[in-house]
Amino acid sequence: MALDRSAGRLARCIRCTRHERTLPIRTFTTTAPSRLETQETQASSEPPPPPAGATTDAPKPRLRDPNTVSTRAAEQQLIQHQRITPVGSRRRRAAIASTSNIPFSELPYQCFQEARAVLQADRKQKLEHIRVQRERIERFKAKDVAPQDEAHKEKKVADMRRRLEEQKILADINDPVVKRKFEDGEGDLNKPIYRLLADRQWRSYRRTLLLQRITQMNVVPDVLPAIDPVVSTALSFAGKRVQHGDFVDSRMSELAPSLQIQPYDKGKRLYTVVVVNPDVPNVQKDAFDYRCHFLASNIEISPTDTRVRLGLLGEEGQVILPWLPAYGQKGAPYQRMSMFVLEQAKSEGGGEFQTIDVAAVKAGGKYTQRHGFNLRSFVDKHLLKPVGVDLFRTKWDEGTAGVMQRAGIVGWDVEFKRKRVEPLPYKRMDSVRYR
Amino acid sequence: MATLACLESALSSLRITNKPAASLPRITLRNASHQAQGRANKAKQGPGKRLGAKKTGGEYVIPGNIIFKQRGTLWFAGDNCFMGRDHTIHAGVPGYVRYYRDPARHPTRKFIGIVFQKDQSLPQPTHAARRRHLGLLAYQMPEPVVEAEIEEPLGSGLTSYQPPSAPRQPTTINLKPTTNNPQGLQLTLRPGYQYRQSNYEIGRSAERKEAAAQAKGKTTRAYNDYKPGDRFAAWRKSALRIARNNERKAMGRGNKGAKAKK
Repeated sequence: MALDRSAGRLARCIRCTRHERTLPIRTFTTTAPSRLETQETQASSEPPPPPAGATTDAPKPRLRDPNTVSTRAAEQQLIQHQRITPVGSRRRRAAIASTSNIPFSELPYQCFQEARAVLQADRKQKLEHIRVQRERIERFKAKDVAPQDEAHKEKKVADMRRRLEEQKILADINDPVVKRKFEDGEGDLNKPIYRLLADRQWRSYRRTLLLQRITQMNVVPDVLPAIDPVVSTALSFAGKRVQHGDFVDSRMSELAPSLQIQPYDKGKRLYTVVVVNPDVPNVQKDAFDYRCHFLASNIEISPTDTRVRLGLLGEEGQVILPWLPAYGQKGAPYQRMSMFVLEQAKSEGGGEFQTIDVAAVKAGGKYTQRHGFNLRSFVDKHLLKPVGVDLFRTKWDEGTAGVMQRAGIVGWDVEFKRKRVEPLPYKRMDSVRYR
Repeated sequence: MATLACLESALSSLRITNKPAASLPRITLRNASHQAQGRANKAKQGPGKRLGAKKTGGEYVIPGNIIFKQRGTLWFAGDNCFMGRDHTIHAGVPGYVRYYRDPARHPTRKFIGIVFQKDQSLPQPTHAARRRHLGLLAYQMPEPVVEAEIEEPLGSGLTSYQPPSAPRQPTTINLKPTTNNPQGLQLTLRPGYQYRQSNYEIGRSAERKEAAAQAKGKTTRAYNDYKPGDRFAAWRKSALRIARNNERKAMGRGNKGAKAKK
C-alpha cells in the first residue's frame, strides 16, 4: 500500500514478493531448464509492437551479459528487460568483468597452482582406489559361495558398493571447480558429488525449517506417527511458490498445484502423493476428522526429473482421488493441508519399484472415500515409506464460498460458532465475604 | 622484711596497674526494643498470598478456571491448559484436570493438563494422533441481502444510494510561480488531509531548478563547479566564502548595535 501511495522513484526490491514477480527459479541441473524456458518464452512472447501514432522516446535498453553485470541498476535492467537472473555472486561478476578471461585453473598465483597440483595428485590416488574397489567387487561377486552364506555374501557386496560410492565422493569433494559449478546451479544431479552437495545444502537449513514447521503444527503425529524427510519438496500454485506452512488463498488452491520432488540418491523410483486434511470439524463427535484431497500413485521421479503437475497425471494408471480444492469453512480453525510423498516398495530380487494397481484400489472402495481417509492404514497396506512432506494452510476468505460452490461441496453457507459452556455452580457466600 | 611488707602494702594502694583486688561488676547495655524487630525477618511475614492448587486432579473445570497459582513455574501448562502472565495455570477447555509428568516432553518438568473424559489419562501415548476438542456448533449463515431487492419506501421521493461511478479524482492545487518556485508548485491531496508535494519531488527540486536555470544559460550555484586538483580555484572559492560570511556577520553586528542604541 505504501508503495502505491507515493508513486515515483522508489526502489523496487528484486526479491519482493508482494508484487507479481514471475522470475525463473534456478535449479541444480546442468541443462539449466529455467534459462532455456526463459529463452523460449522470450522468443515466443515478443512484446506487442507500439501503436502506430505513439512516439517512442525511451531508447532501446542494451542487452546485458548475466555473467558480468555488477551494478544494481544493470542487474535490474537484465531482469526486467531480458528476464534472466544474473549468474553467481556480484563479486564474481565484477571480477569477471574487470579481468581478462583467464580460466580458473590457469590463474597465475603460485600458491594456488601448487595447491591444485596437490589436489590433483590426491584425486589420481582416489581414482586408482575406485578402480581397485570395482575390480574387488567383480571378483567377489564371481566367487562361488555355499547357499547358507548367500545372505552374508550379499551383505558384503552391498557394503563394498557403499564404500565405492564414498570413494567416488572423496575423489571430487576437494575440487574447486565442482564447488563453483554447484554454487552456480550448473551441477548435474546424475553425478553423486552434486547430489551430496545438494543434500547437504538442503539439510543445513531448509530441512530443519521444514521439520520445525511440521512438528510445531503437529502434522506429525496427527496424520502419520513419525517421518524422516529424505526428499525435498517445493510446492507452487499457479506458478507462485508456497513456503512450508503458508496460508494459501482459496482461489489459488482451487486448481491442482505443481510439486517438485527432489531425491538425493540415484535412480528412478515410484512415488505416491497424498494430500490429507486432518482438521475437518465434526460437530457430532465434537472432534476432527480426516479428509483426503488428492491421492495418486506410480509417479516416476529421478534426481533430474523432479516436476509433477498434479492436475496433469493420468486418470487410469495414476490418480485414485482427483484434486479437491482446499477450503476452510467460516468460523472453523485454519485447515492444515498436509502433503506426503511416499516411496513405493521395492520388489525383493530385481530392485524394481512395485506399481500400485490403481484400478484395484478404486474397486476396493476403502480408500476411495475422501471423508475419514486413514493414511496410516493406506501406508501399511501398500508397504509405502514416507520420505517427504509439505504443508500449506487454508482458512475462510472471500473466495471460499465461490470455490466450494463451483466444486459442488455441500456446506458453503455453514458457519461455526463457539459452543456455550455451562458455568460451574458456585455456592453464594454470605454478604460479608463480598464486601 | 616486715618493713618491706609495710612499704608494699602502703604503696600498693597507690599503684595504678596492679591487679585489682576486687573488680566491680560491669554494667551491660540492654535496650527495650530488639534490633531484629526492625528489618531482619520482616520480609517473610505478611499476609499469605493463597497460592497452590485450586482444582485437584480429576475435578471438572471449564475454560478460564484457575487450576494452580504459583510463583514461577513449579508446574507447567500441559495439554489444553495455558499459563497467565503471573504463571497461573488456567484451563483451556471443559474437562477433567490431570497432574502428570511427560519425560518425552521434558525430563524433569511437571505438567497440568485436561482430558475430555474421566477414563482418559495423560501423557498421551507417543506417536498417536492427538485428542482434540472442537467446541463449535454449525449454523446456517443468513441469506445475504441483495441490494436490488430492496424496495424503496413509499412516498419518500428519495432515490436509493448510487455508488460513485468513477473514483474521486485526487485534488490538485497549483500555486502561482514565486521567486523561490519559478515554475509554480503543484500540491496534491495526500492521506491525512494535507496538501503537499511528495518527498521525492521535494528532494529533486534543487536538481530541477538547476536544470531549468542551465537551460536558460544561468546557474543557481553560489560557487563554481569543483575541479579536482585546481588549488587556485579552490582557494578563490574559499576566500569568497569567507568574505561573504564576514560580511554577513558584520551586518548582523550592525543590527545588534542599532537595537542596543534604541
